[in-house]
Amino acid sequence: MADKMQVVEPGRGLGKRNIGKKQGRKKSSKKQKVMQPPHGQKKVKINQKMKKLYHKRAREYNSDDDEDETVAPATRRPRGVVPIKKQKREEDDIENEELSEDEGGQRMQKKNVTDKKVHFSEDEEEEEEEGEIQPGITKFTEGCKAFKMSFRSIIKKSVSDELLGPVLSAHKNLVIEKLAEEETERKVKGEAKKEKLLLAEKGHVIPEKFLNSHEKFLISVATKGVVKLFNAVNKAQVAQKGLDPSKNRDAKELRKRTKEAFFSELGKPASRTSVKANASTSKEEDEQPAWAPLRDNYMLTSSRIKDWDKKMPGKNVSDDNEKASEDSSSDED
Amino acid sequence: MRKKKNTFRRPVIIKNQKQPEAQLSVDPITGKKIPKSFVFSRGKLPVPLKQLQMDLRKLMLPYTALSLKEKKRNNLRDFLNVAGPMGVTHFLILSKTAASPYLRVATTPQGPTLTFKIQEYALAADIAKSQLHPRCPKDLFKNSALIVLSGFVSGDLHLRLTTNMFQNIFPTIDVKTVKLTSCQRIVLLNYNKDTKLIDFRHYSIRLQPIGVSRRIRKLVQSHQVPDLKNLQDVSDFVTKAGYGSESEADEEAATVTLSSDIGRVNRASTKSAVRLQEIGPRMTLQLVRIEKGLCSGEVLFSEFASGKAGDKENSDDKMQDDNNEDSEGGDDDDQDGEDSEGGDDDDQDDEELD
Repeated sequence: MADKMQVVEPGRGLGKRNIGKKQGRKKSSKKQKVMQPPHGQKKVKINQKMKKLYHKRAREYNSDDDEDETVAPATRRPRGVVPIKKQKREEDDIENEELSEDEGGQRMQKKNVTDKKVHFSEDEEEEEEEGEIQPGITKFTEGCKAFKMSFRSIIKKSVSDELLGPVLSAHKNLVIEKLAEEETERKVKGEAKKEKLLLAEKGHVIPEKFLNSHEKFLISVATKGVVKLFNAVNKAQVAQKGLDPSKNRDAKELRKRTKEAFFSELGKPASRTSVKANASTSKEEDEQPAWAPLRDNYMLTSSRIKDWDKKMPGKNVSDDNEKASEDSSSDED
Repeated sequence: MRKKKNTFRRPVIIKNQKQPEAQLSVDPITGKKIPKSFVFSRGKLPVPLKQLQMDLRKLMLPYTALSLKEKKRNNLRDFLNVAGPMGVTHFLILSKTAASPYLRVATTPQGPTLTFKIQEYALAADIAKSQLHPRCPKDLFKNSALIVLSGFVSGDLHLRLTTNMFQNIFPTIDVKTVKLTSCQRIVLLNYNKDTKLIDFRHYSIRLQPIGVSRRIRKLVQSHQVPDLKNLQDVSDFVTKAGYGSESEADEEAATVTLSSDIGRVNRASTKSAVRLQEIGPRMTLQLVRIEKGLCSGEVLFSEFASGKAGDKENSDDKMQDDNNEDSEGGDDDDQDGEDSEGGDDDDQDDEELD
């Protein structure tokens, strides 16, 4: 609070003076010319700003220190007194700076001396505080020192090696309870997760690295099936090899042969096929095999004949039964 | 008047545009309709099940939407609406309850819906980890898988329905025209009579020439120079017998003569051994319920209900479950005994494949 007041007041003082100076232009111009060099030097300007900054910082540091050292009640009273003095001082400073830069430095020193004299009359603590505030750089270092001290003291403190670490004693029980609760919660959650995983994995079996007897049996069954199929394919396809299906005679013979081969293979009478109509319903699977290969047989013989496909569109082929395919083949001829 | 708000929200579909074949709805050779599928989930799935969903999509390749993006608000009708124009015939729906994950297989648009309880499952990644040399050739997923059903007794209606459903999920094969190179994968569904569980396996097919020593085979397959530093003469490399693994001994059952060349090693009219290596997801399924409609409608079969299935089955089921857990070794014996039956079933399956 006091600082702000200080900041404002010198400004007012400046303004008043400026107004006064403006009356005589020549004077003011001269003054400005005089004023310029300090800008170049920057010493003065920096001093002013630095001062404010240092003041602020020092204040903050000091106030902290005061609280830490628990001497606050004693210092608070004199503080009320100090600012006023400061104001005066600063006004002096500004005047000095404005009037003559060269003299300013000297004056500052003087003023410091006078200030110190004044402060000596007061309490020691007060004096210390003032001393910290006064010369900017020293104040800062002082602050650093204080910080160092306090930091050291904190670090030096021995902390009890408890699980909870440094906690206020009142909270200790509460924290312990909370931790225990969390742990139980975690346990429950973990169990739930495990159960869920078990449920998700239900039925999932990792197979053994070796083939057990059941798997071997299954493989043998499957191989039998494959072998039968391959043999059937072999029989069917080798039979056709010698004959050229494009020739009429061969085609007929081929058809006969394949038919016979097929019936013998199926072990079923040929007459049955004629009875066979469209086996569409799923439950008649017993009769289906007898019917399906037969039709395939016709399809094949006819498909081997060249240009047969061109005459007969695919759809008809699928729908028509044996007679139709026979007709078509005869048409070919 | 404002339009009615969002009666239908379209799930985002990113189809692989690179494969024009995937767009065909009808097989060019056999003229049969190519089944296509959506694999998606209802409700929120945990991470491993999401992975399983991805694995199933891969399994269903190429005729499936590999990157089908579903949103929370998409309901079944949305998928159904998309399925129509895209020619999607099957839905594979994964869901999860507190008890276990479920797989529903349904035909669209009205199909029956089979609900399977997934008793156990292993992801493709798990299986790859369990193998010493996991195998994944480049074009493994370019062709659809073959399917082999075994152990399904044709007597029971619900089993017949199951076999039929799974046969129709994959495109049919024409024996006359099929290229052996396109047979790369196989899906096996094995029904265990005693436990009433269906083993779902996915294998890759590999062919190896027979009668050639392992070293020479390796030399031909990999283009690397062999390590000869321990040998005195080049002839040693050929004549020296390498160690034969156990699996190579019992080859006779698994040999085929090829009608066409496959790769550089397997020549036509030479004998080759069929080797299967597991890829993709592994599941143990239990048929729980069959509904007439798409995830709705009349219940045709229920494992736990007291209707058709009866209390007998239920109690039997429990008993068998217990037995199964007790004696795995005994199971193996049973399986050996069943081999002949399995063979018969295979016959059927192949016919159906054809």
